[in-house]
This record gives sequence, C-alpha cells and structure tokens, in this order.
Amino acid sequence: MQIFVNTKYDFVKWRFAAVAFSLFWMLIGAAFYFKNGMNWGIDFAGGANIVLKFKDKVPMDRLRADLADASIQQYGKPEENSVLIRLPQLKREGDYAGATVAKLNKDLNPESADANKIDLNFHGRDRISDLLAAADPDAKGTNDDAKKHYLGIAQNIINKRSELGLFTSMSQVSSAPGVTAADAKVLGEKTFLGQFNVLNQETVGPQVGKELQQKAVLAIIFSTLAMGLYLWIRFDLMFGVAAIVCIVHDVLVSMAFLFMIRGEFSLNIVAALLLIVGYSINDTVVTYDRVRENRRKLKVGMTLEEQLNLAMNQTLSRTILTSGSVVIVLIALILFGGKVIHEFAWILLIGVLAGTYSTVTIVPAVAIAWNAMTGRTHDVKGPAARPRIEESEEPRKRKAV
Amino acid sequence: MNRNVTWKVVLILAILVVFIVAIVPTASNPEPIKRGLDLKGGTHLVMRVNVGDAVRLETDQAAETLKAQAAKLNLPTLTTHRIDDATFVATGPQAASNGDYEKLGKDTLGQFDMSRTQDGALQFKMKSLYQTQVERDTITHAVETIRNRVDALGVTEPIIAPESGNRIVIQLPGVDDPARVKDIIKTTAVLQFRIVEGEGNDAAAALASVPANMKNDVDVLPETRENELGQAVGTSYVAVRKTVPVTGTDLKTARPQKGQLGQPVVGFSFTTEGGKKFAELTGNNKGRQLAIVLDNKVVSAPRIEERIENEGIIRGQFTQQQVSDLALILRSGSLPASLTTLEERTVGPSLGRDSIRQGVTASMIGFIALIVAVLLYYRGAGVNAVLALLLNLVILLGMMAYFKATLTLPGIAGIILTLGMAIDSNVLVFERIREELREGKTVRASIEQGFARAFGTIIDTHMTTIISALFLFQFGTGPIKGFAVTLLIGLFASVFTAFFVSRVIFDVMYKPEDRPATISI
Repeated sequence: MQIFVNTKYDFVKWRFAAVAFSLFWMLIGAAFYFKNGMNWGIDFAGGANIVLKFKDKVPMDRLRADLADASIQQYGKPEENSVLIRLPQLKREGDYAGATVAKLNKDLNPESADANKIDLNFHGRDRISDLLAAADPDAKGTNDDAKKHYLGIAQNIINKRSELGLFTSMSQVSSAPGVTAADAKVLGEKTFLGQFNVLNQETVGPQVGKELQQKAVLAIIFSTLAMGLYLWIRFDLMFGVAAIVCIVHDVLVSMAFLFMIRGEFSLNIVAALLLIVGYSINDTVVTYDRVRENRRKLKVGMTLEEQLNLAMNQTLSRTILTSGSVVIVLIALILFGGKVIHEFAWILLIGVLAGTYSTVTIVPAVAIAWNAMTGRTHDVKGPAARPRIEESEEPRKRKAV
Repeated sequence: MNRNVTWKVVLILAILVVFIVAIVPTASNPEPIKRGLDLKGGTHLVMRVNVGDAVRLETDQAAETLKAQAAKLNLPTLTTHRIDDATFVATGPQAASNGDYEKLGKDTLGQFDMSRTQDGALQFKMKSLYQTQVERDTITHAVETIRNRVDALGVTEPIIAPESGNRIVIQLPGVDDPARVKDIIKTTAVLQFRIVEGEGNDAAAALASVPANMKNDVDVLPETRENELGQAVGTSYVAVRKTVPVTGTDLKTARPQKGQLGQPVVGFSFTTEGGKKFAELTGNNKGRQLAIVLDNKVVSAPRIEERIENEGIIRGQFTQQQVSDLALILRSGSLPASLTTLEERTVGPSLGRDSIRQGVTASMIGFIALIVAVLLYYRGAGVNAVLALLLNLVILLGMMAYFKATLTLPGIAGIILTLGMAIDSNVLVFERIREELREGKTVRASIEQGFARAFGTIIDTHMTTIISALFLFQFGTGPIKGFAVTLLIGLFASVFTAFFVSRVIFDVMYKPEDRPATISI
C-alpha cells in the first residue's frame, strides 16, 4: 500500500488561508479563556484534592455542609460511589488534605469517637496488626513470630480492601485469607467499617504551586528556544525562526483546545506541551532536510516557494505516516487509558495534528515572509529564468537522488 | 552469510538475551521494574525543615554559655535577649567594665561576630559561614532521623533525600495509613528532664509560685491534668528550670509497657553516660518534682523518691498506638528542627490497581493497532519494522530494569508513545527506499541509499525530541520524571533498532550476493 505518491499540491498557495484559520482557532480559544479563565490544576493553584470512595451513595449534602469552600463533584461512574473534593489554596503551608480527611472521618463516623476503635476502611495495616497482637485471639504469645503472624493477617485484610475498593460488610473482612473465627470476633468488637476509604489525597502548598507555575512556563519557553537554536545551527536562521513560530503555533493551538474543553492545566498537560514542542517539529525537520538536499543538487533556478512545494510533496507521505503512527497510539490511550491520562492524550493528539498541519502551512508562510524580507536570499538562481517544478524532476532523476 | 552480518546478528541476539534476562521476574527479584507511587500506592511528601529552629537553639546556647562563663569569672551577672534567630544582645550592669565582657565574648564565642550597640550593650551575631554550617548539619541530621523512623516503620524502599531550599523529599511506597506516618515523621520528639520550680492553674499563677531569685531562669509549660483514674480533666501550667541536664539523646532505648493502672506507658533506659547524669540529677534533687517534657509540653511531673540510675517510664494521656509510636520516635532520636508540609501526594492502593489495568489495556490495544497498521502498509518490510519495534520494547523495559527506573502511569503512556515515535524512523527509511526504487534503482542500492540518506534526518528528529525530553526531566517531579526517563531510553533505543537492527534484517533477507530483484515494501 502506498499513499501520496508523486503529489503536486501547491501548498504554498494555501498559506494565507491557513494562517487565518489558525488565528481563528486561537481566537476561539482566547474567547474561552477570557470567559472562563485559566483552570489551574492543583499542582499550580495549590490547595488540596481528595478522592473518596463511599460504602453507599455519596452524602453530598453532608459533605457540602461540612466543607463550605470545597468544590465537590462525582468521580467516575455514579455506581462507583466516589467523589472528588477540591479545596482552594490556603495562605499557610500545612497538611491540608490530611487534616480535612481526618475531620471528615470524625464527622461522618460516630463510631470514631471511641479512640480505641479502628476504622477498617480508613486505617492501615500496622494499626490492625497492633490491635490483633494486643488481643492475641490466636494465642500466639508476644514473641516476634506472633507479631509476624498478625502482620500477615493485617496485610491480607488491606489487600482484600484494595481489591474491593472498600469493605461494605464485616463478612468481607473475615473472608480475607488467614482471618480465623477468633480474629473475626476481635475485629468485630474492636473495629468498625467507616463510611469511606481514601483513594487519593494531595496537598500542594502555596509555595510549591507558585514555583511549579514558573518552572512550567520557563521549561516550555526554554525548550522552544533550544529547539530553534538547534535547528538554526543544523540548518539556517530562517528555519530556526520558522521552527520557533511553528512550535509556538502548535502549543497555542493545543492550549486553545484545552480552553475549549475547559480542561484543567495540570502537570500532565505541561508534559504533553513539552512533548509537543519536541515532537511536532519533527515532520518540519524532515521537510526542510529535503529542501536542503534538493538545493544542493539543483541545476536550475528555483524560488523558495517552489523549493518548499517540491520538498513538501516529496515528503508528504512521511509527514502523514509518522504522525499517523502516534495518532493511532493516542487514540488508544484516549479511548482506554482512564481518567488520569485522558486529557494528556487529547492535548497531545491536538498538538501532533497541529504539528503536521503547521508543517505544510505555517512553516512555509514564515519562511516565505522571511525570504521576502531578507531580499530573497533563499532563492536558487539558475540558468533558466523561472523554471517550473516539473522541470526540476529531470535533473533529480539523472543524478539518481 | 557474510561474516560481517553474522557478527551483527549474534550481537543483536546477545542484546536481546541480556535485556530479556533483566525483565524476567525471578524469585529473588519478583518485580524487576519498580512501580512508581502512582501505581503501587504510597505517599510522596515534600517537607521544609525549619532550620531557623536549630539556629535559634544554637544562639540561645551561646547566650547561656556566655552567662555561665561570666559567672565562673565572678563578673557581674549579664542579662541576654535574642533579637532574631542568629543574634542576641548581652547587657551587663552599668558599673561593670565592658572590656572584661568583650574579652570574654571573644574567647568563648568564636563563632559569633561581636559589635557594640548604641546604648553600649554587646551584640553577638552568628557568623554567616557558621550559620550555613548549622543549617546544613540540621538538614543532614533531619534526614537521618526521618530515615530511622521510616525504617522502624518497616516501609520498604523509601526515598528520603534533601533538596534545595531546606527541603526534604520523602517517598514511601505502599504506605496505607498516611496520617499516622506523617505524625511519626513530623514529631520533633525533643525529650527533656527538667526540675520543677512551681505550678499553677494558669501561666501567671505558675510563675508566681516560683521563688523570686529563680523567676528569670524558668520556662512555663502546659501540662494535661489528670484525675486518679488517669483521665484528662484539664490543663495546668508548670514552671520548669531553663537548664536541661538530661535529654532524649541520653536514652539508649524506649519501648511500650503497661503502667501500674494497666495503662500504656513508655519505658526507657539510659546510656551509661546518660545514666550518670540522671543519677546525679535525681540524687541532688530528692523530694522535688521532675518534669518530663516532650516537645515543650509537660507529659508528667513525678516526685523524685530516690536516686535513679538506669531506667524509668513516661506516663501521660496516651493510647496504645500513641505509646508504641512514641517509643519508636524516641528510639530514632529527636528532630533538630520542626518540619512543615509543603506538598503531599498519596495514592491509595486500589486506585493504583485501576490505573495499571487501564494503562496496560490501552497500551496493548495501541501496540496491536500499531503493528497491524505497519504490517498492512509495508507488508514484508512491515515485519522488519515490527521486529525492530519488539526489540525496542525489550531494550526499553530492560534498560528500565537495569537503571532501576520506576514505572509510572505517565511512564506506561510514555512507553507506548515512544514506540509510536520509534516507528517514525522506520517510516523515514522505508519511504526513502520506496523513493529510490521508484527511480529505478536495484533493491540493494535502494536499501543502501535509503538508510544512508535517512540517517541525518533521523538524528535531527531524535535530537529535537530528546531536547524536549531533557527539559521534561528537569521540570518534572515523580510521575512526570518517570515519563521523561522512559521517553529518553526509548528514543536512544529507537536509533539503534531503526538503523542497526532493521538494516541487519534487510541484509539477511535480501543478501547482496543473491542480487534480489524484488522487495516487499
């Protein structure tokens, strides 16, 4: 199978329309930005994120009453009984999520008033094992082997909990491997099943958030400049500049998309943007490599416009295929990758598509404008006054490129 | 087969074997590629060490030393007060000769710069070099203490590392009770034994009960009051001497015990040196109360009945869990400064399980889709590309195992993305070969030219992505770093597989001496 063989599209002709389209897209993005503002994720805004899984239906009203400043939304499917609690930034550093979770645990579980009772949905292995070892239902004594014995049981109970998400009945606890009837009796007396289990908790203090914001912006700016510098050294200044414009374009197009879907600007999104900076430029490099190669072999004069068109047509299949392979993978990640990488994959997808698009539209537009401004130094002056692209195929064949 | 090619095939097979060995789980190494916290569950903490605490302590001690020395030389008593963490002012009586104090300051406090304030008092400011040293030691000491505590908790493979800005990064895989672990890490656990000079229901009353000549030499600290049954009934205040003859560093060990009422208490024993100090303290103060002070709170203040040498107990309002944690903390030593949580990320084990399942499923589907697409498009050469891709995957995973890189959720996405990018190199070479073939070259010449001409381009495209991956590595924390590492390894591996391996496969399939007339591409 082969695609795009011997095409002769006049890409250069479309450049103004393409620039207009890109600007239009970015304007829509900007409109969304001004309407909704930047949706900074917790990594940058600071604050706390807590994901809880409940035994029964999430007591939304109770949570809202308890946590006045929080934004509370369903996490995953309704039947998962999970909830994402987002708390705004505090001025002070501290263990925000931990303190909030502890408060909720106290408020929602009347049983927790008894400090000697353990919540099997909240507490960890060591507490369970200490409790069992103190009661010693299996009559193992107080030696190290006894400790090991109860630690093993406690670990099995926690593993069981991880598997289930959380315990909804004591019989689930007793069904964990190694739990004897005597153990179950002790657990029944000294423990209870709290309303929720913590799936995830994050606190980002104001200082770290601010630093990360700066670092993210700097990383994107410097990697873009580094890319321009590398390509300037490897090719020429015109291409270095065109590459920077192209990268900025791809990043802005992706960001505009993020604004449109009202996505959260998180660490993963920064990772996606940095990857776009490095990857979306690749097909531009392939194309420009060909421009340079052709130029060395040209026996006839050729304007930059013609050189670009020729190279873009010659490398068109490559441009499409290389992006295509990554797009295949990204679609799989979008469809099956789960919540955490969903937005990451979407932004990358848009960035990769934007990168392909900008290779055949934005890069030529910048290069041609640059060439015009610098007195057309990038044209190749040959014996013929204005040779056509087709004619240039002849010398290529003879030279067996 | 050409000898040259034979060697290359052997080399590739050897590499294959080496990396497969690295990623096959064995009994001694059941998890060759470590899972990151986001997949395994666990806690990532960034804490700031408040080094000011340690500097302040150092300054206070210097002030005490100066006073003690002045007393030894029979100079009139100095009064001192600290104006910031690293500076204190010493004022002598008007009549006294300042020259004596200046000489004393120079002799005893070499780590401080001395100057004279406008009203004639002496000001001592810690030398900045020494302050930096104190701060650095504090961080090192804090890291050690935290490591002791974490080890005592039995956390496997924790990471505890200092970072710039007086920070410590703590990674605790598999921790299922983050609240307890954070408490244990953060407790400063400064244990002191100090003689009681007075008591009262509030701070003022406590101070009032202190003998007049001692008023400047006591600190008033809170204590939880209890009834005969050991239950908390309120807070009272205790005035204790500023001098601290015995501290937690004099302890040899501490363990949870049962008290007389069956309540949980912490039993401890002293080191030889500590035992001597404690014996002297208790011997000289029979009949007085001795306050056991933990983190500036009096936990109990028993009366000294007799000289005690070896051991004792700490009684207070403790649950079983608190007692075993306190014993653990005392065994691991006290923190030299308090800690402030700057960042915490805890992933519960069940969320990690979900993430792995989804990540792996998505990657498998993406991988299969990629293989099908390549085979459909390039036929015979597609097989070549798929072989190169599989080797790339093996190298990528093997390198991760060798470098002990951790696999994170973005890392899983990174693996499959890297493979999607690795195919690009094959595409560039194959398209070039097709182009050469269209121009009427022989199969062998097209292969030669295809590889030769695509080389520069592939290096350039890889370089750009490697540059951005390096920025990503530098920028990212935790999971993102994992992603960057996977990407970098994969990119290097793909240069090798797309050029070397893929080329060798072509050389074996289409041997020059056979003069192949057709190629499936």
